[in-house]
Amino acid sequence: MGIINRARIYSPWLYHMHCGGCNGCDIETLAALAPRFDAERFGIQLVASPRHADILVTTGCVPKQFIPMVKRVYEQVPDPKVVVAVGGCACGGSLFYDEDPENYAILGSADLLIPVDVYVPGCAPKPEQIINGIVQGILKLAEKGAKKDAKQ
Amino acid sequence: MDPLFTIISIILILPISLVLGVLYSFLIRKLNARFQWRVGPIIRMYSDLSPVIGSTRIWQPLYDILKLMGKDTVIPGSAHKKLFVYSPYMSLIFSILAIFFIPFPGMPLLSEIPYSLIIASYLIIASIMFTILGPVASGSPWGAIGARREAELFLVAELGFVVSLFSVAIAKNSLSIWTLASNMESLPAILLTLVAGTTMFVAMLGKLHIKPFDMPEAECEIVAGPYTEYSGKLLGTYFLSKVFILYAMVSLFIAIFLPPFSSGFIWLPLYAVAAVLLIFLLAVVQVLNPRYLIRKALLWYLKIVVPLAILSLIVAFAFVLGWMVV
Repeated sequence: MGIINRARIYSPWLYHMHCGGCNGCDIETLAALAPRFDAERFGIQLVASPRHADILVTTGCVPKQFIPMVKRVYEQVPDPKVVVAVGGCACGGSLFYDEDPENYAILGSADLLIPVDVYVPGCAPKPEQIINGIVQGILKLAEKGAKKDAKQ
Repeated sequence: MDPLFTIISIILILPISLVLGVLYSFLIRKLNARFQWRVGPIIRMYSDLSPVIGSTRIWQPLYDILKLMGKDTVIPGSAHKKLFVYSPYMSLIFSILAIFFIPFPGMPLLSEIPYSLIIASYLIIASIMFTILGPVASGSPWGAIGARREAELFLVAELGFVVSLFSVAIAKNSLSIWTLASNMESLPAILLTLVAGTTMFVAMLGKLHIKPFDMPEAECEIVAGPYTEYSGKLLGTYFLSKVFILYAMVSLFIAIFLPPFSSGFIWLPLYAVAAVLLIFLLAVVQVLNPRYLIRKALLWYLKIVVPLAILSLIVAFAFVLGWMVV
């Protein structure tokens, strides 16, 4: 494993994208980064701009108004990138998702728009689950990074 | 000094300054975390995890930079492309050049040449100028606001920085950093060190974006400030130049205000102690303070730093006119 690919495992930066939920998963996501579980021990940092991020953490189901923003934020994250969907709504749309008749306001889960790599179900998932999901994401990130390096 | 030795020491100082800069920024992060009852980047990894994710995180800032070097770089369409791309590299080049003019224990480098104090301070300024220019060229409103805040802060911090450096230069009658750094400290000169050193410390807070003066990087207000549009290699280059600037400021502080710690090789342990103490003080200030409004920060600088700067100039002139014996 090259030094740069190792560095990808050592310093994953998260961008937290709240699509439109009840805020429960956001509270748990922030709890995962707060002093009790302190993810900075392993170099995990929350960043303010999607351009700095490696891992996109989405919470909540996507409202129809929010579709262009979700696509745009996903495109702004530079490769290699991983998407972690946190919570029942982000994984499958939960009770807001309707096929027929279609919900007038809510599109459903984030994976209808962008490719999601890791699902963390739960309503809301505990911080331990979220950290586990992020760890799975980091391993996928290293895989993608190795593929990208091989291509070049 | 022997030119061969100077060339060897210039080559040697690059890895030394990189390692020390990374260690200083790790220390700031770790102390911040400890003050907030967190663990921070872990020094000895848990034994069951260490085969997978490495045995230590002391080099965490370096890993961040290396990771950014391996990522794609996004260049926004609205950016002025040339300025946007070249500014991080120019900032890095100037910060590295500044390091060559600041002595390290046992290595005078280029600090012996007559006007090295002026050259070093201008190179540090130039490096910071390019962290303002790049974001302005990015075409992003957040970048522009961040750059404006950075420019305002830089202008007021510069006052204390320059006056404190030059009051020492006036008192000791030399503009060569090596002469300032290798003179033994006399008892009355400690007064000057206290006054001018405090001014310099406050100016350092503004230059390094330590907490009461971190408005340019205020994440909750203006995304990532000047660095909002930067990604991948360009962002990594900016972070690298920040590491070098941190090293340059700390070593300049020790060279000017704590002589003779950065002259002979035997002073290396004391140099290390002084550097760690300085970083500790910076971290304490960082955690104890909330962020100022930019307007209030300017007022604060005018209220506190200008009188301090005038006081340090008066003390310096007292030495020159012979009221006190150096």
